[in-house]
Amino acid sequence: MSVRSFHSVFMASVVAGAALGCYLVSLRVASERAALEQVETQILMAQRDVRLLSTEIGTRARLSQLERWNVRVLALSAPSADQILGDRFQLARLISPERKPAIEAPVILASAPADAKQAPLGEGQAAAPAQPQAQLLHEAGLKLPEMRPAPSEKARPLPLAPAKVPQVRAAEPRAIAATVAKPAESRPADKKAGEKPPRAAMGAMTKPVRTAKVDPLAPIPAGPSTDKASRTDP
Amino acid sequence: MNAPTAALVAPRPERLRLVGQRRQILSVMHQRLMLGMLVYAGVIALVALRILYLAAFGDHAGRQAGMASLVPPRGDIVDRDGHPLAQTIDAWTIGLHPNKVIGDKLELARKLAALMPERDVIAYLKMLRSGKSFFYLRRRASPRLVEAVNALGEPGLALDREPDRLYPQTSLAAHVIGYTDVDGHGVAGIERAFDDRLSNPATRGQPLQLSISSRVQQALEHELLAAMERFSAIGAAGVILDIQTGEILAMTSLPQLNPNAAGQGSPEARFNRAALGVYELGSTFKPFTVAMAMDSGIIESFGKMYPCPRSLTVGNRSISDTHPFGRPCSVAEIMKESSNIGTAQIAAQVGAERQKAFLRKMGFLSPVAVELKERGRTLSPGSNWGEVATMTVGYGHGIAVTPLHLATGYATLFNGGIYRPPTLLKVDARRPAAKGRRVFTADTSYKMRALLRLVVTQGTGKKADAPGYRVGGKTGTAEKPVAGGYSSTRVVTSFAGVFPMDEPRYAMVVMLDEPQPTAETYGFRTAGWNAAPIMSQTVSRIAPMLGVIPDKRREPDLSEVLPYLHEDAEN
Repeated sequence: MSVRSFHSVFMASVVAGAALGCYLVSLRVASERAALEQVETQILMAQRDVRLLSTEIGTRARLSQLERWNVRVLALSAPSADQILGDRFQLARLISPERKPAIEAPVILASAPADAKQAPLGEGQAAAPAQPQAQLLHEAGLKLPEMRPAPSEKARPLPLAPAKVPQVRAAEPRAIAATVAKPAESRPADKKAGEKPPRAAMGAMTKPVRTAKVDPLAPIPAGPSTDKASRTDP
Repeated sequence: MNAPTAALVAPRPERLRLVGQRRQILSVMHQRLMLGMLVYAGVIALVALRILYLAAFGDHAGRQAGMASLVPPRGDIVDRDGHPLAQTIDAWTIGLHPNKVIGDKLELARKLAALMPERDVIAYLKMLRSGKSFFYLRRRASPRLVEAVNALGEPGLALDREPDRLYPQTSLAAHVIGYTDVDGHGVAGIERAFDDRLSNPATRGQPLQLSISSRVQQALEHELLAAMERFSAIGAAGVILDIQTGEILAMTSLPQLNPNAAGQGSPEARFNRAALGVYELGSTFKPFTVAMAMDSGIIESFGKMYPCPRSLTVGNRSISDTHPFGRPCSVAEIMKESSNIGTAQIAAQVGAERQKAFLRKMGFLSPVAVELKERGRTLSPGSNWGEVATMTVGYGHGIAVTPLHLATGYATLFNGGIYRPPTLLKVDARRPAAKGRRVFTADTSYKMRALLRLVVTQGTGKKADAPGYRVGGKTGTAEKPVAGGYSSTRVVTSFAGVFPMDEPRYAMVVMLDEPQPTAETYGFRTAGWNAAPIMSQTVSRIAPMLGVIPDKRREPDLSEVLPYLHEDAEN
């Protein structure tokens, strides 16, 4: 009875609830749409700003302005026909094949220790067998200072290289030679100042047996005799 | 409503009658109340429904209308690469409402005169006291000025934004683009020719793309301007054309004009010499005469000989040469040394009718068929086209055309012989090239390459050569007509050329108006000394941009012409 009497109230509240639900949905949609429109407006505003800024940049960097700067300051000119290459073959033609003085040096480096071993066998000089093994072991590490006697040997490959190589290349071997030569000369001078006098004497004569004289970076022992001579003397 | 009618019941006593009356009144009142309530409820319902409708379908309050898209008030103009040449921006304007001014007018006038010195204090004061409602003080004011004016705090000063046309590249291609009046209507150039297209809301959203290339245009303008200053010329013009499509890559007229302030330019500066000015362009016409003769079967080889005396008298007119031969000479020599006498004889053989027909087919007898509204009417002998006129037209005198005509003619001659109207709009897939019509045979077109290359390698146009780019062309020096004849000191020099000559792609015409001799030209004022170098410098700048690869080992086939050069002609 009581339920029936509330029937209309239920109906009314259900309808009201449904209407409210629908309204909320539509409200939500409307607010989403509004947000979307706002974003679109922002995009448009941004595009307008971009346009404005690009206009400004374009105006400031107008070609006549660039030209003026070029005339007054940069002085760039159009490339001449020789500066423009049609294809990679033309590019390749500009480069002549490389000489290999630089490559020969590492080869020496590898052969130097072998040379030390073989020399006694091959030539049978008196001093060669006398070399203690300890010397060979020493060589592995810090032989650079021992380059001292090398200048005479070094001088030989140097004149050869520039002579063979075209002029443009000449700079490279010289530079390499310089870098090689420098540590050799400077190290004894700076580092082991105390040992210098004896070593300088040794360069001319020979004395110390302790330190190894084989230079891993020495140039090719074209004339092995000189190398040997210095080593065998002691 | 419920009241019983009197007819059905017996007459009632007085008391009862009164009761009945009361009830009747009551019922009427009920009726009225009900009606009122219904109306009220209806109104409420209407309001509620409207609210519901708005809630469901209406716009929300914060919506910004009017920003639907970014359509400018007037369409942009861009070059062939898309770089803007003309844009519409919102510019500040400063206005004055004298009636709304509340401060001290004299003081305000002083301050305005300090900020905007183009008028003095008295003028401002007159404005303030004129009683008129509005003045423009400054259109297109700089933001800094606007800020300063705003700081005056005077309500009578109105700061507004209005669309304004801006040409970011300033004078670049000014005569092509044109300019607008203060109300934004095009009054010259493309702005005028495409005014509808640029202002129509349906089409202005899409920029108008021209065939002009900014960089090429800049190179041409710079080189021309430099030459104009060096030779103290009163004007100059230049055109660069793609000979296959007829697109105008660059077209300039000097002195320069700044379209941002077109009003400041002199009438001289506003005049488009390239498309509106007509000039007798002299020897640059000679290749046409030779080509006509080849097409007509008169010249079959460049070895054909003509008598070339030191002077030729035809009718009452005497024709002379700057490099007189004084002996028979071949067509190749005539062209190489630019002989008027030889060319006149060739033209006479071609005949007036054929010459006219060829010139008409090349569009030389009508205004040039370009989109611009500024198009010059060409001058020709008209009804006077007798033998003498034919001969003079043969070497470019007695006929006046625009530099653009000449460029079109060279394009026609070297693209295989097909005339195409020049265009300022970019040619691409959406807009194919205009349909052409054949003027010269392909064979003639091919053979002419060698002849014009010869002029540059060995003839009068040596200074036009840009190493590696195979320039070919012809110099032209024409005396300007003055009252009672021709002036020998006022000349128009021009160079018309094509590159690369072994496979022609671009035609170019440069012209100097009244160049003066200088020390470095050894006192000469002929085209070979002043116009030809412009060609060389411009080509070496623009050719790499246009994708023409320089190659010093490539040359057009010169075997057609070299055998016909005689020893003594080469000095």
